Amino acid sequence: MNILLCCAAGMSTSLLVTKMEAAAKDQGMEAKIWAVSADAVKANIDQADVLLLGPQVRYLLGQMQTLGKEKNIPVDSINPIHYGMCNGPEVLKTALALVNK
Amino acid sequence: MNKFLEFLESKFMPFAGKLAAQRHLGALKDGIILAMPMIIIGSVFLILGFLPIPGYADFMASVFGDQWLAKLMYPTDATFNMMGLIAAFGIAYRLAERYGIDAITAGVISLCAFLLATPFNVPFTPDGAAEAVAVGGAIPVALMGSKGLFVAILIGLFSTEVYNFIVKKDIVIKMPDGVPPAVSKSFIALIPGFVVISIIFLIRLVVEYFGITSIHDIVQLVLGKPLGLLGGSLIGSIIAYGLIMMLWSAGLHGTNIVAGVLNPVWLMATEENQVAFRAGEELPNILTAQFFEVFINIGGTGATFALALLMLLWSRSQQMKQLGKLSIGPGSFMINEPIIFGTPIVMNPLLIIPFFLTPIVTIVVTYYAMKMGIVAKPAGIAIPWTTPPIIGGYLATGGKLSGALMQAVNIVIAFTIYFPFFRMWDKLKKAEEDGANTTSKVS
Repeated sequence: MNILLCCAAGMSTSLLVTKMEAAAKDQGMEAKIWAVSADAVKANIDQADVLLLGPQVRYLLGQMQTLGKEKNIPVDSINPIHYGMCNGPEVLKTALALVNK
Repeated sequence: MNKFLEFLESKFMPFAGKLAAQRHLGALKDGIILAMPMIIIGSVFLILGFLPIPGYADFMASVFGDQWLAKLMYPTDATFNMMGLIAAFGIAYRLAERYGIDAITAGVISLCAFLLATPFNVPFTPDGAAEAVAVGGAIPVALMGSKGLFVAILIGLFSTEVYNFIVKKDIVIKMPDGVPPAVSKSFIALIPGFVVISIIFLIRLVVEYFGITSIHDIVQLVLGKPLGLLGGSLIGSIIAYGLIMMLWSAGLHGTNIVAGVLNPVWLMATEENQVAFRAGEELPNILTAQFFEVFINIGGTGATFALALLMLLWSRSQQMKQLGKLSIGPGSFMINEPIIFGTPIVMNPLLIIPFFLTPIVTIVVTYYAMKMGIVAKPAGIAIPWTTPPIIGGYLATGGKLSGALMQAVNIVIAFTIYFPFFRMWDKLKKAEEDGANTTSKVS
């Protein structure tokens, strides 16, 4: 399962990546999780099964969902509180729910 | 207050979305970002040239000769001071990417058009002569830097618009079947490239006919001056900052949305300071890109480093304590999304107040401290915006302790402003947690 995260510079989401990786490991799940800046999404989306946006760039959601539709993958923004608290397990759950929908 | 928050959510979201989806603004921002690593690399050599160690200059001169500083500035001149040239290519490239047309071709067309707009001569004052003469056969380096940035922006956008228009109208030279695709592709650029070059050529001829030195002069007057007034004045900056904070209060990346427009102005101010700093002259600008990155955004937008400290030291609520531990690390590198979304500051009427107030107070205090000469101005040295506080202020001012001290003062100011609001919020959170605990005990 490949989870792509995106925010303005890919920095603050990279914080979340480590927490989500830990959560995935706890659940014995194979997951590739990585964070990129908004302009790098196009170059990365082909490897992704799901794309999650940081809440601070959720104004890009419309644009990204169109892109997601083209590539046939789900796209959503991350719950701000989960994002702020770097809640890896919850965000992982969101990603899984989106893929299995 | 709730009405205000509703307003932010309902009006600002679509507005920000549209602004972010706006091709030209996006291309402008991303194209200029391309120059940032080079600007920072150039700054490294700048720092090395002006290390504030007593006897350093004499030592360097004794080892590397009298010309050591001039030689050390070679890389700076070829990186930092080429931002206009890089932007001319980068903006066209990024815009073409958004249109889905051949980006690298668009970049090259724009690059040549930018050079075409620039007269290939430099003023030179011979010994004993009173007036400078124009010496031909030289690309004026000054116009390749931030002084040429506005022309680079205009040409980057314009030439790619023309390119896109012509390609989409299918006005291209068609090759018969059997011609290898690479060959026919090389011809696609011919018509749009020719049109762009011809238009810029004509504009330059007209400009010169009227006795004006170059297109750069006109653009500087029409675009540079007014934008400079907005970004270069204290009031203009506070307004721009207010807008950034408003967007962040709604949980949107305000810096990313607004700064695209003002970044060229602030970068230009940075380069002007750099040139003056190297020459040992009085620094002309206070409001440079680094003024905001280094002195105002301490811990991230809204100067939240102080808030992270407060949480770490004085939280009674578990949630705030945990958030303090979580956010102090990223906050030391000016990243504050955990604090903004975790506290949360977003859509929180109580904490939005200090979030707005702190940057405005620190902008005014820092501005006047620099204007009155108490604190050194940013020396045109671009350091990564993630440089931790205290170190950042020292480096950005060219190794002045007053720069580091100013950052410390701004942290104290932020601390004081956030303190009462933090206490109220912490109390609320604590009460929530206690309430939750008692109910769970009862049930």
